[in-house]
Amino acid sequence: MLRITGTNHILGHKLWAKDFPQFSEVIHTKYLIVGGGISGLSACRFFSQNNENDYLVLEMENHAGGNSSNGQNRFSKFPLGAHYLPLPNKENIEIIDFLEECKIYLGTDEHGEPVLDEYQMTFPQQERLFFKNSWQNDIVPQKGISVDTQKELDRFFKMMDSFRLKKDALGKYWFAIPVHDSSREDELLRLEKMLFKDWLKEHHFQSEELLWLLDYSCKDDYGLGIEFVSAWAGIHYFAGRKNNWSKRYKDQVFTWPEGNARLVQHFSKYTKGKLLPKNLVFDIKIGETVEVLSFDNVEKKTKKIIAEKVLCTVPQFVNERIFNHKKASSFNYVPWLLTTIILRNEFGGDEELAWDNVIYGSDGLGYIYDQHQNVNQIMGEKVITYYKSFSTNDCRKARKKLYRMKEDELKASVLEDLKKAHPLIEDFILEMQFHKIGHAMIAPVPDQIFGEAAQTAKEPIDGKVFFAHSDLSGISIFEEAFYQGRRTAEQMI
Amino acid sequence: MDKKRISLELLLLFSVFVIATCGLIYELVAGALASYLLGDSVKQFSFIIGVYLFSMGVGSYLAKFVKGNLIDKFIEIEILVGIIGGISSVVLFVLFNTLAHFESVLYLFVFFTGCLVGVEIPLLMNILKDRVKFKDLVSNVFAFDYIGALLASILFPLVLIPKLGIVKTPLFFGLINISIAIFLCFYLKKELSKPISLRIKSIAAFALLVGLFIFSDAILSYSEEKLYGENVVYTKSSPYQRIVLTRNNHEFRLYLNNNLQFSSTDEYRYHEALVHPAMSMAKNIDNILVLGGGDGFAVREILKYKEVKKISLVDLDGEMTHFFKTNETMRRLNQSSLSNPKVEVINKDAYIWVKDSKKKFDVVIIDFPDPSNYSLGKLYSLQFYKELERLTKPETKIVVQTTSPYFAPKSFWCIEKTMNQIFPFTAAYHTYVPSFGEWGFSMASYEPVHNRIYRKLPNLKYYDYNFSQLSYFNKDMKVKEVEVNRLDNQILVRYFDEEWGKVQ
Repeated sequence: MLRITGTNHILGHKLWAKDFPQFSEVIHTKYLIVGGGISGLSACRFFSQNNENDYLVLEMENHAGGNSSNGQNRFSKFPLGAHYLPLPNKENIEIIDFLEECKIYLGTDEHGEPVLDEYQMTFPQQERLFFKNSWQNDIVPQKGISVDTQKELDRFFKMMDSFRLKKDALGKYWFAIPVHDSSREDELLRLEKMLFKDWLKEHHFQSEELLWLLDYSCKDDYGLGIEFVSAWAGIHYFAGRKNNWSKRYKDQVFTWPEGNARLVQHFSKYTKGKLLPKNLVFDIKIGETVEVLSFDNVEKKTKKIIAEKVLCTVPQFVNERIFNHKKASSFNYVPWLLTTIILRNEFGGDEELAWDNVIYGSDGLGYIYDQHQNVNQIMGEKVITYYKSFSTNDCRKARKKLYRMKEDELKASVLEDLKKAHPLIEDFILEMQFHKIGHAMIAPVPDQIFGEAAQTAKEPIDGKVFFAHSDLSGISIFEEAFYQGRRTAEQMI
Repeated sequence: MDKKRISLELLLLFSVFVIATCGLIYELVAGALASYLLGDSVKQFSFIIGVYLFSMGVGSYLAKFVKGNLIDKFIEIEILVGIIGGISSVVLFVLFNTLAHFESVLYLFVFFTGCLVGVEIPLLMNILKDRVKFKDLVSNVFAFDYIGALLASILFPLVLIPKLGIVKTPLFFGLINISIAIFLCFYLKKELSKPISLRIKSIAAFALLVGLFIFSDAILSYSEEKLYGENVVYTKSSPYQRIVLTRNNHEFRLYLNNNLQFSSTDEYRYHEALVHPAMSMAKNIDNILVLGGGDGFAVREILKYKEVKKISLVDLDGEMTHFFKTNETMRRLNQSSLSNPKVEVINKDAYIWVKDSKKKFDVVIIDFPDPSNYSLGKLYSLQFYKELERLTKPETKIVVQTTSPYFAPKSFWCIEKTMNQIFPFTAAYHTYVPSFGEWGFSMASYEPVHNRIYRKLPNLKYYDYNFSQLSYFNKDMKVKEVEVNRLDNQILVRYFDEEWGKVQ
């Protein structure tokens, strides 16, 4: 059985025509949050924690979460977007506080080491790479690589280790999370203006295996490969995470069968009775108060919400439609395809699937084994989610192509890739679900992070309308969205 | 007319020869099968020969009641012998896997085959009595009968069992039986009153046996014998594992996914060492939890303590517990422990069951498969023992089978250390099990482990309550530094792989 799902682009694209009915209902609130993704939810949490309980959230989809959504079939939950959170840096106390609230971080032991809930982490085998016709235990290619390649790998990782620790005169990390806390020294601004691939050339990195690894890593976090992302972003992938919070767990990640939708669950207490789903905001007017028009796709009518202050936590291409004067042409959003496949139990034979299974030289980003964290002796059907981002300089074209693709075409392209490692996979497939995300994540191309466009887009309007979204950080990760929502909410009260 | 008479006589005498050969083959197959599956070959052969001869006598007696066209009847009996004798092995093999009353079915088969063969000789003499002189008739019939018997008893061990095996041999002879019937149907059609119906019956029977002959390998996965080099008596693929039981003389061995689980000759050493130290040192033994151990042997040992009120056995595999609960031979080995009213068999995943359970137990006995993969490794993790902690009381004793301290010392001490993170007192101990080698366990509790023995059983074969003797380790079974096995590092699986990789 083949099935296609996706974000509600049909409703979203009505913003182009703005052909909505006159408003027939008026709602008053102190704070209005437009968008129920992680930024919006993080803002709600901040309001609530500061006893500001007069707020509402408008969300276009039928649930909160944005990119942190999930699906579920008979055998497992599975992610429909972001699916893990690396252990935070010890400096990121806001996230650590949130993890404690979620009972993921359970306290400290007698040596001051964090005690973490191991059920919410990955187990061995964490990752494996299909390289030279067999699976190896690490994503970094190893088997049969040349001495020169090994030297380059060592040199690259050594450089990253030093970048990881580098700080400027003010004590700011060169590469920090959130990126806002990073140093703005000239050398770094220069790195942000150049392509990662050029920086690699400059430093004589040329081995095929290393370049593949870096390309894969960038696509995995940013959607685009080394040809398109900035050198700053490319290095940030390796140097941003300090692995300094826990000696024991180091570079582990938190994950769940449903991906980051689990984290969204933990926010639900802050949106109880305050979330209006299936609402598309199409107009915001600023006067004494802020008047927001929203089309309610359930009741099929337009509502006017009058708020003292509004927080827009939608991506900039949506703000461009809502506000006539805002421009988002310099913001690139990479389309993604997630394919969740139900496979017969026998798939993989005696080999245990790793949590993250990557195929060298592949077009996609490999697949996640969604039942990895089951503690029982695995039985029955297996569920995997295959990730693919469209790394290109023309995201618009790729997006249009993705929207046009039908089930058979999608299936053929996914299987063509998976067959490199699993030639017989087709015999085991019971069901495939394709999830299309047109504007999945902001691409940190040169100038995206520290450039002018992002700085302008962050500016509040008249102290009444504010903006927060991971695309304003330039990197689409949970920590950035969390920071954006929280920081902006703080400015509002 | 004369020519025809002679050829009929010869033909029927040849049939006698074939019947005798086949009959004896069936008898030999039954005897071999019985000693092979049940053991004690002297007894099995003796009983089967006795029953067979007796039932031949019964058949001979019954022959005088056969009426109507005797040649018709002769052919019908020929077909019946072919079918019953031919399928005997297949049916008995399949039944051994599923049926509790295997022996009675076996003897029923022997009885029917004997009866039918017994009917045939007098019947034949009746047919030929008007055509041959009585003196010649008796001599010839018995001569052919005994020659056939000799041929069968020589062929059986020298040619048939090595070449065809115990399942195909009777099928092959069934086919010969029925071929004779088919030939007679056509050749003697003028002498028959219902030639058409006899032909259909005989050809259908032939087709059935040919089918079974072709598919017998598939039905019984017979080829596994080669793998084990022992006689495979039971195989079953459950959703979780492949269960294979083999027998060699008096010894049964159980393999799960090709790993030896027990040998019936020395499993008492393993199970006594697993169960009795904890049972004797626990203050109370009302409620016992057994995780794994679907063979019922640990439960058998626990049931020796009459004070035990309830045993909860959690084993993932329903096929496994069903087999050990119903199979006659296995029941003899585990003394029907799984059918005891004190025992509750729970076919659930042990990790999930422990995680969800709220009951508390006085003794917990853990007999999981070795941590040879990451799924199994979770059952030896710190997190698992944390979950288990909730099911314990301050006086509870926990014992875990912890692989071999000789072959896999790091794995062994890693489990002990991991348990020790949760339970303040642990004591590792070991014993020698010939079919496994040196094997080990760890006992854990909230108070020093070997301080007091609360109860002793008088009749154990191996354990003498001298615990300190088992807890002494020589230098070659000790290691210094091992890590704790956590879900996120699964270090145990790596130790295990590294250490057993060297052995195998």
